[in-house]
Amino acid sequence: MNRFAYIRKRLILMVFVLFGVTIIIFGMVRIIPGDPAFLILGDRATDQNAAALREQLGLNKPLYEQYWMFVSGFARGSMGDSLLYRQPVADLVGKRVPISISLAFYAMTLAAFITLTFGIWSAVQQGRVADHLIRLSFLFILTTPNFWFGILLILLLALGLRWFPVAGFGETLQEHIWYLFLPALTLGLQLSAVLIRNLRSQIILTMRADYVRTARAKGLSERWVLSRHVLRNALMSTITIFGLQFGNLIGGTLVIETVFAIPGMGQLLFQSITARDYPVVQAITVITAFLVIVVNLFVDLSYSFLDPRVTYE
Amino acid sequence: MNKKWLLIATLLLLIAALGACAPSATTAPPAAATSAPSGATSAPVGAATQPAAPSSAPAATRKILKMARNAEPFSPFIPWQIDDNPALFISVNVYDTLLRTTKDGVSVEAALATKWESSTDGLTWTFTLRDGVKFSDGTALKASDVKASLDMARGGEKSGWKDNYKAIKEIQAPDDKTVKIILSQPYAPLLSVLAMFSGGVLPADMAKASDAKDFNNDNAWKTKGTGAYFVEGWKKGDPIILKRNPNYWKGTPQLDEVRIEYVPDDNTRMLKLQGGEVDLVDFVPFSQIAALGAQPGVKAQTFTIQQTAFIILNTEKPPLNDVKVRQALNYATDKEAIIKTVYFGQAKFMNSPIPQGTYWDKSLPGYPFDLDKAKKLMSESAGKDGFKMDMQVRSGNTNFANTAVILKDAWAKIGVTVDIQTLETSVVRSNYRAGQFMSTPSAWTNDMNDPTQIVNYAMRGGASPFAYWTRYNDPAVNDKITKADLEQDPKKREALYAELQKTYLDAAPLVFIAYLGATAGWRDYVQGFLIDGLSYYRFEDVKNNK
Repeated sequence: MNRFAYIRKRLILMVFVLFGVTIIIFGMVRIIPGDPAFLILGDRATDQNAAALREQLGLNKPLYEQYWMFVSGFARGSMGDSLLYRQPVADLVGKRVPISISLAFYAMTLAAFITLTFGIWSAVQQGRVADHLIRLSFLFILTTPNFWFGILLILLLALGLRWFPVAGFGETLQEHIWYLFLPALTLGLQLSAVLIRNLRSQIILTMRADYVRTARAKGLSERWVLSRHVLRNALMSTITIFGLQFGNLIGGTLVIETVFAIPGMGQLLFQSITARDYPVVQAITVITAFLVIVVNLFVDLSYSFLDPRVTYE
Repeated sequence: MNKKWLLIATLLLLIAALGACAPSATTAPPAAATSAPSGATSAPVGAATQPAAPSSAPAATRKILKMARNAEPFSPFIPWQIDDNPALFISVNVYDTLLRTTKDGVSVEAALATKWESSTDGLTWTFTLRDGVKFSDGTALKASDVKASLDMARGGEKSGWKDNYKAIKEIQAPDDKTVKIILSQPYAPLLSVLAMFSGGVLPADMAKASDAKDFNNDNAWKTKGTGAYFVEGWKKGDPIILKRNPNYWKGTPQLDEVRIEYVPDDNTRMLKLQGGEVDLVDFVPFSQIAALGAQPGVKAQTFTIQQTAFIILNTEKPPLNDVKVRQALNYATDKEAIIKTVYFGQAKFMNSPIPQGTYWDKSLPGYPFDLDKAKKLMSESAGKDGFKMDMQVRSGNTNFANTAVILKDAWAKIGVTVDIQTLETSVVRSNYRAGQFMSTPSAWTNDMNDPTQIVNYAMRGGASPFAYWTRYNDPAVNDKITKADLEQDPKKREALYAELQKTYLDAAPLVFIAYLGATAGWRDYVQGFLIDGLSYYRFEDVKNNK
């Protein structure tokens, strides 16, 4: 199967996966107890007020009808209205999705740099002080909850050294990049903590391969051997993990966006779940699922670029 | 060949990442193009297409106050449609009421009305409007605007506060300067009700339009009031910008702009203040008041507001239907220990069922901690063999959770086994509305200085909200509440409220714990900031001397 046929097949599969996601999320937000009408109206609301609001919001319709409205709306490109804000969900989510995606990609970019630098360094210095230090530091980062690690970075780099702002999002593109650095670094460091361990062991393994000895025997420089012969082969499994971690990364933004006061999707999702704002929760979940699927498709495609022997079936 | 593909893929990824940034960048004002500091040029979405009203002060001396808040509004800025504090705090800065509550929160003073008098039967009230009051867009305030707004507050489809205006039969605007309010029966708390935020005055056309089913809330976030500030528009996720109202009747406010951003994490909010990124923060955790105030250049304070913290008891669930059990629980509660460990000393002993506002009886003893008395009461009660009781705690509220832990320990000493159940707020709410609970921690804040609101909510039984969901129902108390609302003589009213406070305290449908305060922190160059008795803050007198 060639690459394009493979993509076509994956895209068709994606429709089914997303369909499954809609059913699961639609059921889940309704199984958890809590009446949105009382959450919106507050304690002072009477039962009549709540009934009137449920009627107005369409919450008293049969579940299959509500589900049909959700799915058919989505298919038409309409995500409905937020129960809490009485605004189109698209208006609420539209601005936030790019912010969270930027943050995730920013974090992935930083993670890639950090992983390559320290992963290679650690492998080359195997068993020496630098190797132990790197592994120990990233073990610490890996085991630290990210909200706490975020605060730690704020104290050190924002309040102590004053290199970055404490929190917020900024106004211009330059400011966004500057403001998002610390949250992206928090996420990026935690992601690379997973990746570095993998990359290091892969490099060490690959360096023992026969073709690497041959390359060295040809008189190639160590640097050339590492970059041209070792790294590409070692990267395969690291990239797989990299792609799989994207879902986790989006999950991580949920907490990090609250700590760093970034008006992204995670923050909205958290508020919406608390408020039982069904349409918003549904929209964000489906969008996230879509993103995770797309990123993993890209990861699968990248194998064939890294290793021409890979074919798709 | 492969190398080229890898390069292209990487580039595409980068472009995608940058492209994702772009939409939010286009909504930003052209701050980078000007040489002014970025804070000075910041504006909400929409500013790019609709330039802000030129300020009288040159850019260099523009006074801006930056604030970080713990929550974002969800109600539209239409006073009678508001049901959340963040929206309410904006509303009191942009919309005025006929009267307003004094800063100490115990009486009312003139605002849009300068004079008022009632007919001898107490049924007709005549208000004279202040001269020269203008809306933020420059149009003059007329009595018809007041009539339209109050008519919406008391009868609008979307009004959440109708109950407070039940006594009003009709509102008339005989001329541009006079508002007549005709009551169906004498109603003593009328002036306090008119000072409530829900009676904020909008231009008549906007007030009427806001009640339409298809009214777009985007129009509500573009305010047109007579208050010290106005909002040009707001989108969720953006900072809220209060702009100075050049036509404000109390004189031009000191600040050109108040910029309120949403920083939900308590620690981050405090760090932003310490780092000087904002000038003012609200909701300083009680545990951090002392440490924050000790920072150089930072002040932190707890303000007295009309707020109470207590435990709701379901008086229908045995053995809580026995008053002695409820009193025993009250005596077995060490309030001072809770005030010290949960509220870090930033709260006061609660001696009466109502907050420290008008007609609060400061002579009442409350339930001082007395374990022996508690044990004695228990031994004489239906709960003498001990019992098990659930306490439903709203997740995420650390103060409630810590209180519950202390109570579990304290009440074990009188044979009560507390089963702490941490549940989501919505679940706790549904449960107490349905009567499916035995106890749950809660808190109340007065929305008006008069006790009628808390007394009707917490003491009147028989119908929703069933005396604050305690299901306490004493017909004699219900009658007295009605009588207090009708009584015109302040002295006699005070006596009635004193009796009500005493009766309710003795009946103990709640475990009375503490009077709480509201906290804030600010840089020392900010002057005049104050949280008033009803927990509102107005920026009209605040200065930024930076």
